[in-house]
Amino acid sequence: MSDLDRRKFLKSAGAIAALGGLGVLGAGTNRPAFAQSSTKSDLPDIIQKTIPSTGETIPAVGLGSWITFNVGNDMELRDQCADVMSAFFKAGGRMIDSSPMYGSAQDVIGYGLDALGAHDKVFSTDKVWTSGDGADQIAETSDRWKVEQFDLLQVHNLLGINDNLPLLFRMKDAGQLRYVGVTTSHGRRTDDLMAVMKNERLDFVQVTYNPVDRKVEEYLLPLAYDRGIAVIVNRPFRGGSLTERLEGQPLPEFARELEVKSWAQLILKYLIAHPAVTCPIPATTKPAHAAENMAAATGPLPDDKMREQIAAVIGVLV
Amino acid sequence: MSEWWDYGLADLLLFSPRVYYRLFETMNSTWWLVVASAVIAGLIASGLALRHGFRGNRVILVLLALVWAWCGYGFLWQYYQPINWAIPYLLPGFALQVVLFAIFAARPLPLRFGWRGDLSSYVGLTLVAFALIAYPFIGLIEGRDLLQAELFGSAADPTALGTLGFVLLSRGTWRWVLLPVPLIWCVISAGTLWVMDQQVAMVMLAAVWITVFCGWLDLKNGVTTKRLTEAEIRDPAA
Repeated sequence: MSDLDRRKFLKSAGAIAALGGLGVLGAGTNRPAFAQSSTKSDLPDIIQKTIPSTGETIPAVGLGSWITFNVGNDMELRDQCADVMSAFFKAGGRMIDSSPMYGSAQDVIGYGLDALGAHDKVFSTDKVWTSGDGADQIAETSDRWKVEQFDLLQVHNLLGINDNLPLLFRMKDAGQLRYVGVTTSHGRRTDDLMAVMKNERLDFVQVTYNPVDRKVEEYLLPLAYDRGIAVIVNRPFRGGSLTERLEGQPLPEFARELEVKSWAQLILKYLIAHPAVTCPIPATTKPAHAAENMAAATGPLPDDKMREQIAAVIGVLV
Repeated sequence: MSEWWDYGLADLLLFSPRVYYRLFETMNSTWWLVVASAVIAGLIASGLALRHGFRGNRVILVLLALVWAWCGYGFLWQYYQPINWAIPYLLPGFALQVVLFAIFAARPLPLRFGWRGDLSSYVGLTLVAFALIAYPFIGLIEGRDLLQAELFGSAADPTALGTLGFVLLSRGTWRWVLLPVPLIWCVISAGTLWVMDQQVAMVMLAAVWITVFCGWLDLKNGVTTKRLTEAEIRDPAA
C-alpha cells in the first residue's frame, strides 16, 4: 500500500469512528458504522461485522480452540468444552475456529455441535495444514467436525500454499466452500502474507493482534481494509498470558464509558473497534468467560484516541 | 512458502497442563492393576541390577522390554496420541527400544548389570531410584493430586529416566544402542514441560547431560568396550 493509500485508510478509519460517535455516547466512544443489531430477538444485541467480499455479517467475537479444546477422549473435559460452546451460542456467537494442528480439538467441536444440535448456528472455520494432500486432510477435517461444508477454510501458516490455496479456490468455485483465507500467527511471515493478499482474491486473513502486538496496524490491516479482506484476530490475549498479567489490576477510569467489566472485554473492544478487524477469536475453557467475551461485542466501542489509551495503559502494566 | 522449521517450541504445544496431567489420572484409575504391575517390575529389575553377582540379567532386560511395550501402547497410543499429533512419529522409537531389549535378552552374552562403584554406578542408581520412588511425588509439590502421579513403567518420562539409570548400571560393548531412544524422549519431553512452565523439565535435561557424560567417561575408562567373557558371565563377581 502506498503512503497515499495508507493516509486515506487512516482518514477513513477516523471518519468511521467520528460518524459512530455522534451525540449518543460519551466522549471517546462510538458505535461504528459497520455495527448492526442482530435480527434474532432471542439473542443479545451483538455487534455484527461485515465480510467485505459478500456483505454477509457475522458477530464481532468468535471462539478459538487452540489448546483449550484439545482434551483427547476425556469425556468430562469434552462435556466442559460443549458447555463453553453452549454459552458461546447462547450469547450470540457463531464463528468457531480450529485446525488439524490442534490435536483433538476438531473432534471435540464435532462432539459439541452434535451434543448441542448446533450445526445450523455455527460459522465453521478451519484450516488446511499440510505439505501433502490437502484434499484428504479437508475430508478428514469434515468428518471430525461432522459438517458437510465449511464456511471458511484457510491455509494455515502459509504451509504448502502453492498447492493448498488453488485447492481452496477450486472448492469455492465448485460451491463446496464459501470463503477462502490464509493465516499466520505470532507476527511471523507478515511480508509473505501481504504478498498473497496483494496477488490473490482472499476473503479472509487471520493474524495475531492485541494491544501489545500491534505490528499489523502499520501495513497489514490497512492493506486488508483496502483490498476488502476480512480479518480474524488470533491470540487476542496472547494465549492467556496477557489477561493473567493484568489480573488484579484495576481497570482504567475511562473503561467505564465502554461498559466493560474485565480486561478481557477491554482488549476485545480495542480489537473490534479497529475498522479492518472482523472477528477476534479468544479461546477459553470456561463457559462464563465465553459469555463474557461475547458481551464485549455489545455497547459502545472506543474511538481512535481511546484505543491508544488502552494500548498505553496495558503496555505499562505488562 | 512456510516450512516446519518456522515453528517455535511454543507453537507446537497443543494442550494445557490440566489436560496433560489428567491423562495420568485416567490411566492410573482405569488400568491400576497394570500400572501397579509395571512399578513392581521396575522394583524387581532394580533389585536384580544391584545384587552384585546375580545372574538375572536376562530377567532385567525382559522386564524393561515389557514396561516399554506397555508404556508405548498403554500411555502413548491410548492416552497421549489423541492430544499430541507427534506421538505416531515417536512410537516407532518405543517399538525399537522393545526390540533392542529383547535382542539383548536373547544374546548368548547379555548385558551384565551390577554395581561397579564408579560414578556411572552412582548416577545410574540415583536415576533408577528417582524414577521409581521420587518422580511420582513431584506433582504433589506442584499441587497436583496423587492420582495424577507419573509412575515408572507406564508414564513415559520416569520410564525413560529409569532406563537411562539401568543402562548406566550395565556393562557390555553394545549397551550404548539402548541410550538414544530414552535420551531423545527426555529431550522432547523436557521441551514440552518447559513450554508448560513445569520445573521438572530441568530434571529431564540434567539427566540427559549426566548420562551422556557418564557414558563418555565409561567409554574412556574401557568399562563398556571390554567384552564380557563366558567366565565373567558365569562368575560375575570375578
